[in-house]
Amino acid sequence: MSFLDSLAAGLSLVGNIESFLALFMGVAIGVIGGAIPGMSATMAVALTLPFTFAMQPITGILLLLGVYKGGIFGGSIPAILIKTPGTPASSATILDGYPMAEKGEAGRALGMALWASCTADVISNLSLILFAGWLASFALSFGPPEFFTLILFSLTIIAGVSGESLLRGALSALLGLLLATIGLDLVYGTNRFTFGDPNMMGGLNFIAVLIGLFAIPEILAMVWHPTAHVGTARSLGKNWVSFADYRRSFKSIVRGSFIGVFLGSIPGIGAAPSAFLSYSEARRTSKNKENFGKGEVEGVAASEAGNNGVAGATLIPLLALGVPGDVITAIIIGAFMIHGLQPGPMMFILNVDIIYGLFIGLIVSSVFLFLIGTVAIRGFKYVADIPKRILIPAVLVLCIYGVFAVNNNIFDVGVMFVMGWVGFMMVRYHIPAAPFLIAFILGPLLEDNFRQSMLMSGSDPSILVRGPITWFFWAMTLLTIIAIVRAGVRAVKGTPALSPKVKD
Amino acid sequence: MTFRTLGAVCALSLGLAGAALAEYPERPINMVIPYGAGGATDISARTIAEPLGAAVGKPLVMANVTGAGGATGSVAVQNAKEDGYTMLFARVGSHSVNPAMKATLPYTLDDFRFVTVYEINPVACAVSPSSGITSMEDLIAKVDEGGVTYSSSGVGSLLHLAAVMVLSEFGVEEPLTKTTHIPQKGGGAAATAVLNGTATFLCTNSSAIASFVANKQLVPLMVTTAEPVAGFDVPTAADLGKPALHQLVGWTGIAGPDGLPDDVADKWGAWMAAATEDPEFLEKMTARGSVIELMSPEDANAFIEGQYNTFRKLVDDLGMRIEG
Amino acid sequence: MTQRQVQLRLGFGALLAAIFLAVYAIPAWVSSPSNVGNVILSPLFWPYALSGFTGLAGLGLVFSGLRLEDTGTPVNTPSENPNAAWLRLAGMAVIMGLTMIALPRLGMVLTSMLIFGATAFLVRTRHPVTAVFCAVIIPLVLYAFFAHVAGVAIPQGNILRLP
Repeated sequence: MSFLDSLAAGLSLVGNIESFLALFMGVAIGVIGGAIPGMSATMAVALTLPFTFAMQPITGILLLLGVYKGGIFGGSIPAILIKTPGTPASSATILDGYPMAEKGEAGRALGMALWASCTADVISNLSLILFAGWLASFALSFGPPEFFTLILFSLTIIAGVSGESLLRGALSALLGLLLATIGLDLVYGTNRFTFGDPNMMGGLNFIAVLIGLFAIPEILAMVWHPTAHVGTARSLGKNWVSFADYRRSFKSIVRGSFIGVFLGSIPGIGAAPSAFLSYSEARRTSKNKENFGKGEVEGVAASEAGNNGVAGATLIPLLALGVPGDVITAIIIGAFMIHGLQPGPMMFILNVDIIYGLFIGLIVSSVFLFLIGTVAIRGFKYVADIPKRILIPAVLVLCIYGVFAVNNNIFDVGVMFVMGWVGFMMVRYHIPAAPFLIAFILGPLLEDNFRQSMLMSGSDPSILVRGPITWFFWAMTLLTIIAIVRAGVRAVKGTPALSPKVKD
Repeated sequence: MTFRTLGAVCALSLGLAGAALAEYPERPINMVIPYGAGGATDISARTIAEPLGAAVGKPLVMANVTGAGGATGSVAVQNAKEDGYTMLFARVGSHSVNPAMKATLPYTLDDFRFVTVYEINPVACAVSPSSGITSMEDLIAKVDEGGVTYSSSGVGSLLHLAAVMVLSEFGVEEPLTKTTHIPQKGGGAAATAVLNGTATFLCTNSSAIASFVANKQLVPLMVTTAEPVAGFDVPTAADLGKPALHQLVGWTGIAGPDGLPDDVADKWGAWMAAATEDPEFLEKMTARGSVIELMSPEDANAFIEGQYNTFRKLVDDLGMRIEG
Repeated sequence: MTQRQVQLRLGFGALLAAIFLAVYAIPAWVSSPSNVGNVILSPLFWPYALSGFTGLAGLGLVFSGLRLEDTGTPVNTPSENPNAAWLRLAGMAVIMGLTMIALPRLGMVLTSMLIFGATAFLVRTRHPVTAVFCAVIIPLVLYAFFAHVAGVAIPQGNILRLP
């Protein structure tokens, strides 16, 4: 069957009102679900799953994909407006999105988030359609040693998000790594820092830590100084992103999208590290480097491009290999199986109409995301106008509901509170939160893949340089570290005592 | 307040309690799923929730409480009120492998009362096509050469124990030292590890690898049931003369806290009988490779006890138990 | 607090934490089976490595702090009335503590109403009537959404049991 025949077959499958309606509904559900902290894209997809059982396979899957795509964008709305990431993937968006909202530019930040998301979505979908086969075989060459080197390289992002002091960034990261060791040991199943509490055995819930670290310190800061915001311009976000903004950030968006496609096609990494990597790359190469972290629109664009770039690409291992890349695609694979479809190489031969139908649906979903996102932003941005001392208690209550809903566990609410105090102390001592978060995500992966490699080789460390992929990442890591050290040396040598800024 | 009014109040509340029990369930029932969304337990639980909810007559509220290989959710039910309004979807991993392998587990089998086991999942072993292994004999021969590894979804999971049990049944004397266990995080990652050559083989629920087998990405070696499994064109444990492996199957059941009243357990028995008759449920579950086999509360307890003892003996013989 | 003080305090804090981890916390709270074949594979390896890195970061912070001259400029904008601010923070800690006790008993809806009210008055809201109104409405709306749309088993109380 030629490409055109496949395309026609796909079109005949999705060319009906029902499919497009499902896709549209899906995106709408996703944006709303993603915008509610604790609901997250994962839960929105899980909740929609039972409704797809009764539908045609393609309609049901399009509905779920719509929820997924909408959810990843939706998470940026609360990240920008109330400093609470709706999904873990949008935590990088906080770094510049929330300062923009504080400056009264909520509308501009949300607009840029949407434009960047849609652009990244298109790039990601096109990559899926064009390179699925090639990237899939690439993904399978990632064993534990390759993962270990990739994650080691990703940890160098910490330098990019440390802000004014690299040492304090490192301290923050170490705290994240330490807290991530709580739970059961991977290789022996023994307890680490669990104090015999069964709730601790599962480790600290990621979303509870995330919300605790970002949203609760904001509440405590308000309690500490209730009138600090009075007089600052946090009024109506009437402003909107301009085309000039978009053009200026375009390079970062495209770079972020490809970072997303690359990390998305490798199972097991997920959208949050991709957003941070894209952000730190944008910061490294930007002319407005100084402004990053203080409300730079390019920072919002880079993070959102990074996380939405993952959304299409995670379907590469799913469709081509039948391997889910993250929790959400694991749920979507369930929907395939319920309908008797078995994702994998054979699907490209047996169900080519469904594959092409999905491709067409995905392309259309970017358009829907743009339309629904525009409407959603208009609705949500008035949150920025609620009196702050009403908004803050509301955010607290919302966080409690949301964090409970993630795992139906009151213990997680306690984790959120405790992390809130940790986060507040970190703010007082000017320790950046982003390195903590990156380390908390990547730390367990680093340790697990290292030990898995050692198990594979019988503790022979030479497995860590076993092939070109590992060499590549070792070289990248080395280059980045050299660049960081050189920048540090230059900072120490040049302009001393100009400001109380720390030199390290 | 006099004693008489106090007595009256007590009598009244007792009467109310009695009435409430007689009318069980009078409000929605919380069903705890100790594993994450999209997993085998979750899909099974949510599939039965529909016909079961109709039989119960009150809504069933499904709650995923994940962590520590099912222990977090199990403990939530262990500590819940024994009124039948908090029930657990128990699974082979959380309620027979974990108790057999982990001395550190915060619960034992005695902390739960099983009202049913309704689903059996055959276990299949598989390797990657590039390994050149096509039968169990090949695999055992490879083990003797050394360097064979197996993946699992974590320490103390069914996959971990299954691989060891299969090796030991096929005459490998010291499976713990002759082969290496490479634990992964989750069943999906375990299958991927075999796909990309990180591990040599894995033994897991047939439904988890059915699509890989259909796509010829994995080569199945055997299934542990007595009957052949659709889609797996391989010898059964019975064909290979290893009937002891029939014990090695996955299952899903429903349990409450230990002190669950008898009438509640009886009601569950009746509801499950009605729910498992549902043709749509049967069709969906069979399509996923499950065998629907409803057990009464007594049968379920005996089945789990039997499986636990088999596993416990193997674990003790090999010194696999996780202490501390 | 000046920049110098921040660096020094963090540095000494990190050093103390590293020593505490290495001497007490890891041996006491991380268990390792006796049959570990290789030290690299031990569950203790990674925590010890981390405590070592923490110590190094602490040393670095102390040295960079010592190199700084004391400018006397505080890094945080001071609160208008530090005593009242500390009291309010303590109040928030009490609210959070009580929340953890009340959640399983009163249920999530009633507890949230109380938290909302208490927090709003703790930060001295200018809209007390709106605050009370929202304190009642918002938890109910969230309950309706999470319990009936999202199907989450929101904890019910002993006093109030919502449909």
